[in-house]
Amino acid sequence: MKKIEVNFIINKKPVTVEAYPNERLLDVLRDTLKLTGTKEGCAVGECGACTVILDGKAVTSCLVPIGSVEGREVITIEGVGADGKLDPIQEAILENHALQCGFCTPGFVMSAKALLDENPDATKEEIRRAISGNLCRCTGYEQLTVAIYEAAQQLKEAHREQI
Amino acid sequence: MFKYDYYRAETPDEVCEVLARYQGKARIVAGGTDIMVQIREKDKRWKELECLLDLSFLEDELRYIREEGDQIHIGALTTHTDLERSEVIKRWIPFLGKAASTVGSPQIRNRGTIGGSICNASPAADPLTPLIALDAWTVIRGRDGERVVTLKDFYTGQGKVGLKEDEFVKEFTVRKLPEGTVTGFAKLGRRKALAISRLNVSAALRLDEEGRIDFARIAPGCIFSTPDRVETAENILIGRKPSEELWREAGKAVSEEMIRRTGIRWSTEYKQPAVEAIVEDALIECCGSQFA
Repeated sequence: MKKIEVNFIINKKPVTVEAYPNERLLDVLRDTLKLTGTKEGCAVGECGACTVILDGKAVTSCLVPIGSVEGREVITIEGVGADGKLDPIQEAILENHALQCGFCTPGFVMSAKALLDENPDATKEEIRRAISGNLCRCTGYEQLTVAIYEAAQQLKEAHREQI
Repeated sequence: MFKYDYYRAETPDEVCEVLARYQGKARIVAGGTDIMVQIREKDKRWKELECLLDLSFLEDELRYIREEGDQIHIGALTTHTDLERSEVIKRWIPFLGKAASTVGSPQIRNRGTIGGSICNASPAADPLTPLIALDAWTVIRGRDGERVVTLKDFYTGQGKVGLKEDEFVKEFTVRKLPEGTVTGFAKLGRRKALAISRLNVSAALRLDEEGRIDFARIAPGCIFSTPDRVETAENILIGRKPSEELWREAGKAVSEEMIRRTGIRWSTEYKQPAVEAIVEDALIECCGSQFA
């Protein structure tokens, strides 16, 4: 098994990694790039803890062979927020007590961010659907739904002020 | 961990060449939502795997939903999300969009492709039953060019599809449903998101001016060893007006066909009433609830 070279954009920075073909995007993120904010839960695409944004879409990084990432753009939880400030989604999650152990939180943030980047007018129903591939075993989903909805309102507000 | 090489295909011809070179020991990956799980779970099927052949860079060639005359062409790399959002699908074959929208989770739908879903040959694949109801064709590409088989004949047995060593699926082609046809897709899973279908049914109906059914398609999933329409159930509907009683008769015809083809099994006691109810659900979805 020969190592392969893979070039991609991680959190807005280009990177080149050498990886074994049987490594997953998740392995490279955590082990090679030391971006351990992305969590490994079930490893079979059921729990959503390893969710990242790949070319604008939420995907479970445990199901992405590293070779498939060549030339593509990946955003992880480390790439959310700017200038040392949390993203409004993260702020709203804190504000609404929408986490306890926090293991699933990065995955939820990425699913929510993929949704709001594409559709800032998301309804609560659309939010529920967008996070339906993420499991939380301690807090539940209501606070998360409320938090993401609040973040959406804030983002819209901020957008209006800019105009 | 299984060890294998990785090959990124840059042209469709290259796919055939690499498949032929590895003589059955290369496996195509597109979205990876099935094979990455199977490899992780050390599925015996992949013990001899020598090469993962990545198709996902052929999006220009293989990811499309095209309307041409009375046909719709769906490229093998079309994702479930693409199907769910396509206006062409919504307009002409809405149950395919509905079926795709029930696959896995948003993350799975963003990656998983219709080609992978069909080629893995799980009888529980959600996009399968609408395609069967539509009498879809499979366009297969090999070293010697293209050939076309009906999707029904593409399935050669449980979990098996008819691809030669150098071949891959390029496209599914369907005819648009006749103007005025309504469709339904009903599914029974163990939870709402991420459930693999235990049973599913696609149905399409059209009513004539007098309100009688003059076009009917019913395709159940997960109950036959290879997918098929149930013409006995479709024929029951033709010439009659929608009613609760009629939906029940159609459901019974499907469960009778299931027993005729697969015999009485330990699961029949559960599956028989369940499949009847799922057929009724799909038919109710077609016609709204005014009759139920």
